[in-house]
Amino acid sequence: MSKREVISSGNDLAAMAAVDAGCRFFGGYPITPSSEIMHTISDLLPKVGGACMQMEDEIAGICAAIGASMSGVRAMTATSGPGISLKAENIGLAHIAEVPLVIVNVMRGGPSTGLPTRVQQGDVLQAKNPSHGDLKTIVLCPGTLEECYTETVRAFNLADRFMQPVFVLLDETLGHMHAKAELPSLQEVEEGIKLRRQFVGDPADYRPYDVPDDEPAILNPMFKGYRYHYTGLHHGPTGFPTEDAEICDRLIKRLFNKVDAHVDEIESYEEYMLDDAEYLVVAYGSASLAAREAVNRLREEGVKIGMFRPITLFPAPDKKMKELKERFGNKVFMTELNMGQYVEAFERATGMHRDEFVTLFKANGRPISPADMIAKIKDELL
Amino acid sequence: MSRIIMRFTGVGGQGVLLAGEIFAAAKIKQGGYGVKTATYTSQVRGGPTVVDIQLSDEPILYPYANDGEVDLMLSVAQVSYDQFKKGVKDGGDIIVDPNLVTPSEEDKKRWRIYEIPVITIAKEEVGNVITQSVVALGAANTFTRAIDDDLLIETMLSKVPPKVHEANLKAYELGKKYALEALEKGPMK
Repeated sequence: MSKREVISSGNDLAAMAAVDAGCRFFGGYPITPSSEIMHTISDLLPKVGGACMQMEDEIAGICAAIGASMSGVRAMTATSGPGISLKAENIGLAHIAEVPLVIVNVMRGGPSTGLPTRVQQGDVLQAKNPSHGDLKTIVLCPGTLEECYTETVRAFNLADRFMQPVFVLLDETLGHMHAKAELPSLQEVEEGIKLRRQFVGDPADYRPYDVPDDEPAILNPMFKGYRYHYTGLHHGPTGFPTEDAEICDRLIKRLFNKVDAHVDEIESYEEYMLDDAEYLVVAYGSASLAAREAVNRLREEGVKIGMFRPITLFPAPDKKMKELKERFGNKVFMTELNMGQYVEAFERATGMHRDEFVTLFKANGRPISPADMIAKIKDELL
Repeated sequence: MSRIIMRFTGVGGQGVLLAGEIFAAAKIKQGGYGVKTATYTSQVRGGPTVVDIQLSDEPILYPYANDGEVDLMLSVAQVSYDQFKKGVKDGGDIIVDPNLVTPSEEDKKRWRIYEIPVITIAKEEVGNVITQSVVALGAANTFTRAIDDDLLIETMLSKVPPKVHEANLKAYELGKKYALEALEKGPMK
């Protein structure tokens, strides 16, 4: 199957990927730097029988998308950090009610309205814990234009597999950069679509939340004769609220287990030039574009250096990061466009404190250049 | 050609973004790699805007121009000129609209600075100020010889509505003509 070559931006590719992956509803409210996703999908969806609704605000945007998903349609919303803050409560609803949904966050400078047109990776920890209560989120972070497409496709399949929201974290740089991308064929994408499971027996026997302790709920589309209850409250087998201690305990543990027990289906990362490396760079998202160039330039100077790039940020690749620590010790350079958010995941997995290795953070809305990285690596790592 | 890096700067609303997309698309059509990245402010109009365009036969990783590596900068606003000129390599070329940008004496020593009244050409000679980005496209390509003229024009026409094809063709040719004249006259002293 031949690849498709396109000239596009990360935002447009995310919109295109959604439609190719079978998304037929978008509910949202435009916000810089994510607006092009809504703009493009509003053009694409009607052509395939789908719908794009601009709601009165971000909260209504995610609510509309959740509603569409309840009726069995693949649905998406897209926004940037301030929009996620507004959507927070309903992200929690989608988690506890187990509604599949893809949420794209094109990160800009924060906190608050921050730096609307500028880049930051400041919403990483927000994506890990976007709402009150205990949540186990799945967070994908593309690092190339191609991945803006392929990770959005993967997000839809993971959302249906685990019956919960899946985050795709882009940022202003990736969202707006315009270049060539090689995409998998439409046939390949369509053949890879895995829709949510459905119950097919007698409706009288249907108990959507009565599932094994490491599996998601089986939610049939609404309005098709299979009745159940949706609620943000803790609930029993048919979805009706309960405060039964045992049932509540089982529910919250299952919401974690369904992800934890299947990490191998979710985890993904890239190892770049690590085979003979003596020094390790850890970067992700758009910061990895500069990091890769820094690695290439240092390699030209004979430095044995490579890069580890998590693509699934959460659940974090703990085992892999532990292995890297055993191999590289503190010969690690970690860089991100925030004040050190993913370093927390790295610290937890490796048992190292950030003072023990070299870090470079920037959160003023400007990218970190390869030259900045090389200077820091030469000064403090080599 | 190894790598050509261009930087177009203006203020929000002037429409310098389009030229970058056209360059990148034409280079990709040619079988190479092109990346356009824009940086702008949250002001709808009037904020300094910069578009970096990198064209190469090899894959381009970091989408922004590295400081000191820009081959050609074109600027139609003083505020953006001042803010982004440091990206231009020593001895590199800068095109300014003389009605809008006044380079310092020091700048004239550091870079080769040429004057082309891009906005006035679009407004008065083409008759449509929106064509300024195509005037800039014609001028920049004449300086860098990055892309074959015919291919660049074909790509440009595919990105603008048919009703303005004629105006944009004229804009391209004028950009080229003024650039040739500027090159002949030489940089500002």
